[in-house]
Amino acid sequence: MMGNTFFRGASLLCAVLLVMVAPLSSSSQDRKVIRVTAERFTFTPSHIKVKRGTVVEFRLRSEDTNHGFRIVGSDANVIIPKRGRGEATLTFLAETPGRYTFECSKMCGAGHGFMRGLITVDE
Amino acid sequence: MRTLTTFSIAMLVAGPLVAQTPNPSAADPQNPEKAPAETRIEELERRVRELESRLLEQTPSAIPPSTPSDERSTVSQTGPLSGYMDFHLNRPEREDPQLDFHRFVLLFNHSFSDRLRFVGELELEHGFVSGLEASGEVELEQAYLDFRLKPELNFRAGMLLAPVGIINERHEPPTFNGVERPFVDTFIIPTTWFDAGAGIYGTVGNGWQYRAYVMAPLDATKITADEGLHEASQKGFASNVRNVAGTGRLEYVGLPGLNIGASFWQGKTGFNFRRGESRVGVTEFDGRYHTGCFAVRGEFAQVFIDGAEDLNDLLQRTAGVNPNIASQMRGFYVEPSLRPLPRLKYDVAAFVRYENFDTQFRMPEGVLPLKQFDRTAWVFGASYFPDPDVVLKIDYTIVRNQSSLFGSADSLNIGLGWWF
Repeated sequence: MMGNTFFRGASLLCAVLLVMVAPLSSSSQDRKVIRVTAERFTFTPSHIKVKRGTVVEFRLRSEDTNHGFRIVGSDANVIIPKRGRGEATLTFLAETPGRYTFECSKMCGAGHGFMRGLITVDE
Repeated sequence: MRTLTTFSIAMLVAGPLVAQTPNPSAADPQNPEKAPAETRIEELERRVRELESRLLEQTPSAIPPSTPSDERSTVSQTGPLSGYMDFHLNRPEREDPQLDFHRFVLLFNHSFSDRLRFVGELELEHGFVSGLEASGEVELEQAYLDFRLKPELNFRAGMLLAPVGIINERHEPPTFNGVERPFVDTFIIPTTWFDAGAGIYGTVGNGWQYRAYVMAPLDATKITADEGLHEASQKGFASNVRNVAGTGRLEYVGLPGLNIGASFWQGKTGFNFRRGESRVGVTEFDGRYHTGCFAVRGEFAQVFIDGAEDLNDLLQRTAGVNPNIASQMRGFYVEPSLRPLPRLKYDVAAFVRYENFDTQFRMPEGVLPLKQFDRTAWVFGASYFPDPDVVLKIDYTIVRNQSSLFGSADSLNIGLGWWF
């Protein structure tokens, strides 16, 4: 009993001591929630600017049908529920400065191809 | 394994505990027999579990998860095809009612790569096609390749929709009120207006986007006094491109719920005549806005036909009848609407639309306009959406003209439309 308690205590103590630096790296990441509305055939906002290191949480809502939200060049791709049926969330770590195109990935009508936007990650 | 996972997560999250370590002297008041060290360990364990669950919620990932609130009910089960259907019952005053499967449209979408894509839209109108005039039509309304370079500049070539007005590029049944499309978007802007062409499009930042195409021009011999430009498109059928037309649209979509745009079309149309030339220009402005349960949209379009006098002479020599084509046509509409149950699964909408459209707004010199072509329409209607992609519509349309000789018929219309 005593040995077990000692082992659990030692494990936790190690955990605490070994990872004191871990929160330093995670706390350097700003977290930003961005609400995006999808509607045939636009995203609003369609141009999103964030700083490098920001963890962007997209909250995606549709005003009409199902849309997709795909960040080109990555595997990030979610389906946005139809109007009145909740929202999708997608988390994007803005690690590298640059421009990232996002687009609707689900055919939504005659103007589907216009449904695009831009994420700019600044230094 | 689970212990190891818990331990690893604890390593990631336990840092803050250093600053928040409980007071070592604080024993569990519920169980005074417990050793202070044991109580402290239990407290730490509890906090590690709490932080573990928080971490799992918040860890960013390179491959983000899809987390709609209710996957089963929010995502349509769609196959490789998409499309829309439009099924109408029209009952004009003093006439028998008609059932019309107005539109059966299939859309195709294929990505060769992130930069190169194909989109096609094939439409069957009125359910039946034969060689007779009164039958339906099969139309290839879109079939283009997109060459995507960057957001500001992309190329498109093939069969294109003219980027003019609200309805021409946005005509899925759940997207507009009323069983039939607005008259302005039928006679002044000849939706669905498509033809062969090529051009560029893109976004220019701060919510502005554009398209600019060259397309096959309209055919002057198909312009009529009654229906304006409605049948004037060559529709990609061996389209004559002796002179191409230019068209473009600039839109602002930078604010939630707001979309305002301006479009133009300019092109020579007299390729069927050896002598004489005519030119058609279209200028259009439109806006849409919705907030909460309220929405409003409006559109203004004006057509300029240069050389209308010569055109009438040439057509009279060919057909024996002066077609009475105007030098200017004009139309506009305003449509407020209400959706009193916003964001609910089952939705209803009510609207009223006022339209004014005149296909003889200005005539060539010396020719008087015919008053029956100066028309107004009031459309009152409602829509029920059992699903955001399915709509049951009903409206009553009152059309009036300025003539004391020619009457016009009201109509009751019921429509079922769906997108899939």
